[in-house]
Amino acid sequence: MTFNTNYRLNRHHKFKQNDRKYVADLETNDILEVNEVEWDILERYGTQTQYQIVEALKEKYKVNVIFDGITRLERLGKHGQLLTQIPTSAKSSKALQPIDRKRKVLVPFEFTEEKSSLDYITHLNRFHLLTALAESTALETLGFTDAESGTGDSKNLEALGEIRIRHIEGGERDTFTSAWYAREGYDGILLLSQSLTDNLLYYQIPDVPIVHCIENTQKLQSSMLETLMHLHAARKESDTLVVKASWMKEWLSEFGIPERHICVIPEGINVVEPISKALAKQHTATLFKKPMFTQHPVVGLISGFEPNQGAQWITEFAQANRHLAIFVYDSVLAQHYKNPPDNVVIFGADSQEMSLILPVFLQALDLVCFPAMPGTPFSVVLEAMAYGTPCVAMTKYGMPPEFSGAGVSVECQWDNFGNFHVPMHELSATINAGLVPSDMRAASESVARRFPQKYTWQKTAREILRLFEKSQSLETGTHQTGVNLFPPIFCRRYDPNTFETTSDAYRLGINRYEHLEKALGETLLTQHKTAEVESVFMHFKAKTSFATSTQLPTSDRFWSSAAEPYYIDEDSAAKGISRNRVIRADAA
Amino acid sequence: MFNFPKILHPLYLFEEDAAFYAADLDKATAVELSSLMVDILRLAETHTNSEIVEALKTSYVEADILQAFEKFAELEETGLLFNRGENLKETAAIASERRKLLVAIPGIATDSFFDIETLSAGTNMAFSYMFKYLAKYVDLHFTGHRNRKLADNMYEVDISVTDFGRLSRNINETYFGILTLHLDYETWLLPLYQHTELPPILVQCHAPRGHGGEAINSILRHYAAMRDFDGFTAPSDYVREFYADYVWDASFFNTLPNGVDSTLFRPMNKEKAKQELARHVGDDRILTTPTVGYLSRVESEKGASVYLKLAELNPHLLFLIAGPSLGRYASQDLPDNLIYAGFHPRKALPMVYNAFDVYCFLSMSGEETFGLTVLEAMACGVPPVVPNFDGVPSVVGEAGLVADAENFQHDIATFVSYPSPIDFSKKINMLLNDDQMRQSLSQKARERALSFTWDKTACRIVKLFEELQEKRRLVSPNRLLNLFAPTPPEAVHNLGGIGPANQGRQEPKYKSIVLGMNEHYEPCLIRDAAYPLRVEDGLVLSILKNHTVREAEAVLAAVVEDEAEAKATLKRVCGLIQATA
Repeated sequence: MTFNTNYRLNRHHKFKQNDRKYVADLETNDILEVNEVEWDILERYGTQTQYQIVEALKEKYKVNVIFDGITRLERLGKHGQLLTQIPTSAKSSKALQPIDRKRKVLVPFEFTEEKSSLDYITHLNRFHLLTALAESTALETLGFTDAESGTGDSKNLEALGEIRIRHIEGGERDTFTSAWYAREGYDGILLLSQSLTDNLLYYQIPDVPIVHCIENTQKLQSSMLETLMHLHAARKESDTLVVKASWMKEWLSEFGIPERHICVIPEGINVVEPISKALAKQHTATLFKKPMFTQHPVVGLISGFEPNQGAQWITEFAQANRHLAIFVYDSVLAQHYKNPPDNVVIFGADSQEMSLILPVFLQALDLVCFPAMPGTPFSVVLEAMAYGTPCVAMTKYGMPPEFSGAGVSVECQWDNFGNFHVPMHELSATINAGLVPSDMRAASESVARRFPQKYTWQKTAREILRLFEKSQSLETGTHQTGVNLFPPIFCRRYDPNTFETTSDAYRLGINRYEHLEKALGETLLTQHKTAEVESVFMHFKAKTSFATSTQLPTSDRFWSSAAEPYYIDEDSAAKGISRNRVIRADAA
Repeated sequence: MFNFPKILHPLYLFEEDAAFYAADLDKATAVELSSLMVDILRLAETHTNSEIVEALKTSYVEADILQAFEKFAELEETGLLFNRGENLKETAAIASERRKLLVAIPGIATDSFFDIETLSAGTNMAFSYMFKYLAKYVDLHFTGHRNRKLADNMYEVDISVTDFGRLSRNINETYFGILTLHLDYETWLLPLYQHTELPPILVQCHAPRGHGGEAINSILRHYAAMRDFDGFTAPSDYVREFYADYVWDASFFNTLPNGVDSTLFRPMNKEKAKQELARHVGDDRILTTPTVGYLSRVESEKGASVYLKLAELNPHLLFLIAGPSLGRYASQDLPDNLIYAGFHPRKALPMVYNAFDVYCFLSMSGEETFGLTVLEAMACGVPPVVPNFDGVPSVVGEAGLVADAENFQHDIATFVSYPSPIDFSKKINMLLNDDQMRQSLSQKARERALSFTWDKTACRIVKLFEELQEKRRLVSPNRLLNLFAPTPPEAVHNLGGIGPANQGRQEPKYKSIVLGMNEHYEPCLIRDAAYPLRVEDGLVLSILKNHTVREAEAVLAAVVEDEAEAKATLKRVCGLIQATA
């Protein structure tokens, strides 16, 4: 891993004269006076990463002084002195060497805010995933210790299994955010967290690829889309968002996140030695004190609904299908919906004890029904079917391929806020048909029975590892680092022909004006990703007609315009190519 | 002819990759040399050419040594290795404990500021006086091509503006400010603002508009590029007021009134002055007829055509012109009562002014900011009549009469005003017909002129640099991190008629997010959190990473229609940056 490769150190010679320190740039012949920290940084620049430089010098200097030294040297580089900017293409050609050891992956777990948002099953699945990953990967997490009390979250982390804990003392955490410690020594970062605020910090690390597994978390459902849109904006080319179900990918593509940027990796499932369905039904009836579970067909509804609307819908569904015994898996409603219709039991596995009993209930099901939507616990659906139970999927995007051959689908609609609608009559008819023995049902049962072999944690771990391998070959830098010889100055410009004042960009060096939009795009791209810059342009386009003439919003168009610089000239003026002030006047 | 011994710049000789170099610390430049040249340099300060040849001929061929001398001559020509001019390091100039200002006015010969008789432009005249008084408080070092003493506390130093970037840290240690002059077409100054290590730069602005919009645009470029601790000076408040229509932060325009040499320009015996001028011109009408005076280049932009009209309107008065020449007007049929009084050396100007009963200032140029001759006439106790135009009335105050002028909001061929000949004529006659008023204004003119001193100007410059240094200490880099992202469309609460048709896509909205971690990975906001921002705020935050607040202002002016909202955005984001620095 290397950092700070935006610049290379020119051939140089350092020397001291009269208690002052200098460095001669032998490529430009400039002599530059440097201070002590810059002198020490130059000893390391190019051979060490920024992280290594800071860590090596932080005993001797204040951290800010070190950063300021690096900043000053890189500012010199911007002016063509001492350092040379390396264009992005040159950077990416420095392909990383294949790794012939266990990949070292950081799995941060310091996200306190999300703890209350996750159910037991999610935690359990994380444990299974990490255990499987640990077979082929060196996993490490950060354990922060309070400097005064000596306590920390290490104890909680020990429950995560085969994962090494790197202890960070409290004092250090005051200096740096947790993301600092992820900068060095890792081949990748595995983010399991759904907490936006902390995750975004990790996305700022320039050269370490991230694989971010998105949970189907019912409690976070209302904010999930926004979170994912932000993460997508923050992602580097080498980062991957992983979702567990195909419908998540389709849903996100609806909102402009390209499918190629989303990877679907189903979770593994945990099945136990099966018991007979009759016995399972009996246990279920006994435990819930609902004899009808032995007398009527049992339909399992694995719920991903927004809880409030889910309660209403489940009631409606139960009333429309009074002849069915309905087992609902919903960890939120299990706690809060205490008096459902008589033919309904609601269960959520919120503890180890409850999760151990869950397979009994799942084996009692004659049919599994689920809405293919973000809050639905994907692994529970798979586990429910794994004992040979077909499904009826309520889907917006057609039968999810994961369940292909294992059931049928009913078209439904849902939006980003938990609103859900399915034609109840059609759903009931499909469920009732699915309960009747048939060749099709037999075939579905057969497919479902193969799920335990198809969806294993080992496969999931392999796929995640493959993503890290793949990201190795991709450009990891966050921003465009093309050399810009003629930086723009954004300034107002008075036009003596119209007496109007507009805002333009003036190019130093070539001393000419050009359209503000292009220079602005270029400036933003030095810090932000193309998708982010598009967001800015789209925002102003919608708001003030900004950039309508230059058509910058999409990256393809943007880059084509960037490749062929255009300048303000008489022709464009004659053709009425609009400028911001003119547009504003129109808008007014 | 290149003759050793020579005084060398501070050099450090070194070898790297089998090549020899001399690091010229004065020029911040490394020069690759042959081993012979290195050996010569070791003898350069103590040996003559022949002694060097003698000393080195056992190791080198003589022809090679002579050829090396020629190479040294070329290097000296470019200012490298050898001290050009005097050895100022041994004088009090460099070692002086006094504060030093670097004066960079490329394109104008430094010597001209010290030969006042050669100066015709008011701007250069003003500089000349200003430097003289400024040197009382600071040492002035003029950029140039050799080291030499120009006058007490004033030196030319062998530094070119092209060296500023490389020498920025050294310049910052040596000088507490850089004083320069704004010219429309120069391109060397803009890149200097990119060097954060250079000390504050104060740009004197004497021609705020005109030149077909070029002057305005040049000022606007400088304004945008300037660091937070640079600024303009202009001789009158008018410049600040004028630019307040173009920029949001007019505090970058500092008023720095010119002064007047009130010991040279003083009231004299008017009769004697008239006699002397009459003798000089050879026209005795000066002794008998009331005189109106005009001292300027005789050009239309300075009001020469209007002055002719005034002469035609007032045959009972005598209109005197003192200037370098009559220019194109020499070939015209001039009114009989218009007398060209010729060109006079500066020391004779008080006599000329004193020969005027009224001074008439008619400039209509976009370059006008002050009217130095008005102040000189006032110092001589001559009441002026000036147009109600730009900064000139502010110089006159109540010590003269202000005549009507048609001022143009936008310049036309560098003209920005047209003084009313009728009103001028009226005001001139009013003054000449009312002895009491004339005498009263004469006294007031002298008193007011005495309040404009070059000493005050010099002190103000020193104070301005001190203020800029103070601002500099408050500058904080923007290290905040932010990103831009779309957000989901607004909630649709009714899916009643559900189906694809009712899932109509709304346009996504966008926002920015500022992170609780800065680019040094420090936690910089409360609870390490991330906070949503308006895209406008985020945009400013991003721009301020590598651009100035004034540049962000230009961008906001383009993308935010409501100026008050745009200004509030800029203020808010700048506050956040300062608060989290």
